[in-house]
Amino acid sequence: MDVALETEQLGKRYGKRWALQDCSLRLPTGRIVGLVGPNGAGKSTLLHLAVGLLRPDAGEVRLFGRSPYDNPAVLPDIGFVAQDTPLYRDFTAAELVQLGGRMNRRWDAALARERLAQLGIPPKLPVGRLSGGQRAQVALALALAKRPRLLLLDEPVASLDPLARREFLQSLMGSVTDSGTTVLLSSHLLADLERTCDHLVVLHSSRVRLAGAVDDLVDAHRQLVGPRHIGEPIAGVGTVVRARHTDRQSTLLARIDGVVDPEWTVHDVTLEDVILGYLADGETTVTRTDWEVPA
Amino acid sequence: MIWLTWRQHRRQALFTLVALLALAALMIPTGLMMRASYADKGLAECLRVLNAVQPDPGRAGPCSRALNQFADQFNSMSLLGVLFLVLPLIVGLFWGAPLVAREVEQGTHRFAWTQGIGRRQWALVKFGFVAVVAVLVAVVYGLGMSWWVAPLTGAAQQNRFDVFFFDMQGVTPIGYTLFAVALGICAGVYWPRMMPAMAVTLGGFIGLRILLTVLARPHYLPLETRAIPIEGTIGEPGGASGDWIIDKGIRDAGGTMVLPGAQAACGAESARPAGGRCPPLEEFGEGAYNWQLFQPADRFWLFQGIESGIFVALAAVLLYLAVRRIRRVA
Repeated sequence: MDVALETEQLGKRYGKRWALQDCSLRLPTGRIVGLVGPNGAGKSTLLHLAVGLLRPDAGEVRLFGRSPYDNPAVLPDIGFVAQDTPLYRDFTAAELVQLGGRMNRRWDAALARERLAQLGIPPKLPVGRLSGGQRAQVALALALAKRPRLLLLDEPVASLDPLARREFLQSLMGSVTDSGTTVLLSSHLLADLERTCDHLVVLHSSRVRLAGAVDDLVDAHRQLVGPRHIGEPIAGVGTVVRARHTDRQSTLLARIDGVVDPEWTVHDVTLEDVILGYLADGETTVTRTDWEVPA
Repeated sequence: MIWLTWRQHRRQALFTLVALLALAALMIPTGLMMRASYADKGLAECLRVLNAVQPDPGRAGPCSRALNQFADQFNSMSLLGVLFLVLPLIVGLFWGAPLVAREVEQGTHRFAWTQGIGRRQWALVKFGFVAVVAVLVAVVYGLGMSWWVAPLTGAAQQNRFDVFFFDMQGVTPIGYTLFAVALGICAGVYWPRMMPAMAVTLGGFIGLRILLTVLARPHYLPLETRAIPIEGTIGEPGGASGDWIIDKGIRDAGGTMVLPGAQAACGAESARPAGGRCPPLEEFGEGAYNWQLFQPADRFWLFQGIESGIFVALAAVLLYLAVRRIRRVA
């Protein structure tokens, strides 16, 4: 299994606060990887570390086996669309395509033009005057024109309306499925990722809560309903991710590792159930005492 | 990469060009006017007369009047020159400081630095381009200013070493401009926000300029002293020779300073009571002399070279620091 991106105990600190901590991941090539977590979970930090914009404060990150920080040799392998799709706003789309050709040795200008023409992006208008969706498409076209081995997109659809969002993701999928490009795509909205990703990383409070292939994740978890449960081990259950209790009954989200005790009713879960279970599990960084309100 | 730099900054370049043309439209006619008046009044010849050891009394009077006339007419022009003192700073603030700071503030560094070019190369090309343009602009206005200000420094007996006049002509504007741009770039790399970067540039530039001007410049080369006898002089020794007088005073025959900061002359004999002696000698004793501590006039270009050299060297250090630091910008 080839690995596109690998991190080991990776950490990044801003002042005293760790934006990312203890992050160990292996992303196989050819996957569409979703990076999900609430705002401030460390998604952008992880992506910036992966493309070499940030220097790790702990651990290491390797992109196709090479450290990306201060290493221009990895740049041809990555296509990166940063959050809010920053582009030179006074450049026209045509000029940006030209710019890419001058800043990259490998550059498929025809591909970019073809995409932009198909999407009806005006070539002679400064991109600052395009709509958010159009600008995101321009940024994506520029990233794809590099013909990268790994495409990283930081909240590419966050500023788009639902229709533009679906179109963007569809066009993204359409263009990477044939080329075998690995994609790492972050979002704070699960719905964006559910339909597109086959691999998932869940970040919360600067830590990785869950990572793996979507099918495996769904397969490994079950919802169990049974008598009130106070923490004793249950046969066939590996870990309890989340538990909710009423007076007489408990509902558990659990990773299972065998045949579950027949006392419990077992339900299949959706990807959303699993992710929400893990996100709810993460403690928040701001405590009630920070706000000086009673706990 | 050069294309990107040009495309990104062509509007700024255009503004700069327009501003330079506007300045030229102002300076060239006034410069020509001053030169015409200078030639009409025969001031070049007059200065030779007045600077002679024993001025010809017949010609000194009309010449002084002509000089005064010229000075009255054009002295306010030197205010225009002050504009050129701030020009390097403006270039530093609007070319240097935003170079990296604006990129980071708008997030476009994340786009630029993930293309195929490493950010060190990006920095070298950009800094180099802006520095070269700044130097070109500075050469134009530095040398243009030398041409423009020459009649003023000549006729108004403004010393070329005087703080404003030294700073706005010759090659020093090149050093100042390069330094201001480098300071702006470096500030933008260390504090990648527009406002802090501009504030640091403003404070740093003004602070260092004042510091060097006041403390260091008079001592770039060892000072020279001279003693001018008071005996038999009509007028006080002036600055007409173009020397930069740093300190002066009257010393008695033994060399003890009796009146710092002043100079004296006997004055015309006709103005004294018959048989009266030279008044300052009466006051300070026989053999008293005017003492001057100075930098000779012919060191002007040497001093220009030293001053610009210092600022160019500082600019080089700042640019080096900026290139080294660029990989840490997040």
